[in-house]
Amino acid sequence: MEEMESIYGEKLSLMNDVLEDVLNKIDIVREEMKEKHFGEDPVEHCLARIKSEESMREKCIRKGIPVNVESALAEIHDAIGIRVVCAFIDDVYEIRNYIVQLSDIKVIEEKDYIKHAKPNGYRSYHMIIQHSSGLYVEIQLRTISMDTWAALEHHLYYKKNIEANAKELIVSELKRCADELASTDVSMQTIRNMIYDE
Amino acid sequence: MKLLLAEDTKDLNRAVSAILAHDGFEVDSTFDGEEALEHIKNNTYDGIILDIMMPKMDGLEVLRELRNLNIMTPVMLLTAKAEVDDRVNGLDAGADDYLTKPFAMKELLARIRAMTRRKSDYTQKQLTFSDVTLSSGNFELKCENTVSLSNKEFELMQLLILNAGKDLDNNYIIERVWPDNEKADENIVYLYISYLRGKLESVASRTRIVGDKGGSYCLVRAS
Repeated sequence: MEEMESIYGEKLSLMNDVLEDVLNKIDIVREEMKEKHFGEDPVEHCLARIKSEESMREKCIRKGIPVNVESALAEIHDAIGIRVVCAFIDDVYEIRNYIVQLSDIKVIEEKDYIKHAKPNGYRSYHMIIQHSSGLYVEIQLRTISMDTWAALEHHLYYKKNIEANAKELIVSELKRCADELASTDVSMQTIRNMIYDE
Repeated sequence: MKLLLAEDTKDLNRAVSAILAHDGFEVDSTFDGEEALEHIKNNTYDGIILDIMMPKMDGLEVLRELRNLNIMTPVMLLTAKAEVDDRVNGLDAGADDYLTKPFAMKELLARIRAMTRRKSDYTQKQLTFSDVTLSSGNFELKCENTVSLSNKEFELMQLLILNAGKDLDNNYIIERVWPDNEKADENIVYLYISYLRGKLESVASRTRIVGDKGGSYCLVRAS
């Protein structure tokens, strides 16, 4: 992890503590879910990061707020980010339900991009919570398919010099893939229900 | 294969019904336009044969009405008139074929066989029912979001939409969606119905498929 003194200042160490605390809470949720799920961990992997200085500065500028630690932490809620990836759609919603019940965090905002996919095909469940320390954490919940798609889409926007026509075709094909992956996710969930309802 | 016959001349109606039945078709015989339309609304047919000159409602009116209801079943018109205008109007109103009286029975049979063979070609590129649209071009199911359907999911969804509001039993479904699969039974039907229920939910549709495993299924409008 880089030193980000100039934007996060002294808050950095607190941010890391908050990140670790929320990760621990999620680990406890995973253990509880494992017991209900015949020993299976519903989570494939969990990633956490503190937004890079460059991204944070860029976002402050984009939002037209001062580029300092106060804006960063008060106005922008994804300075601390956690991504939880599960194999099945139902597990995503189940984890969401557990998180909402956690005692010393407060849910500020939820956006269901699974039920209401973005026009480009992006699907995930976003939550912004406020930790007891006052700091905000953004939690993204998604399936492996949604994660795969998002990673690929990210590459598209990383590569700067794609020709306009090619880009339009890529965007529409990415959406088609997103819709196919979404369909497969539903089918897998249906099969799992069938196995466990027998 | 199930056919609807609408012919007001009793003798002709009886004769045609008997010959069709002998050839292996299941036939519902009706004697006027209103009766024909009632049957069409309440049952599913693989082909419809309509006389043009009938009491209460003529064949062309019945045809226009059923096409308006999104019923895409192939239709053959029968008439004593050999007028070109009637033929043109009939075909443009949505008929698939036309036979003038008097006709040879074996020609009627051959044309019906040909017409029911071609059913799959007459499906529109986009079907809409309740709050969903099904596109045949890209196998997509759309409501608020879009989701891609597999080959068989698409065929089953199409069958449900084309027969919306009607009860379809397992055999009817298997014959039309899995005609080449000898092992197909109520289990695969139930699995694919379950897939479609999930997909409908994932696009935020409130259209429902009513029915339990082993029984009939029916696509019901969002309430």
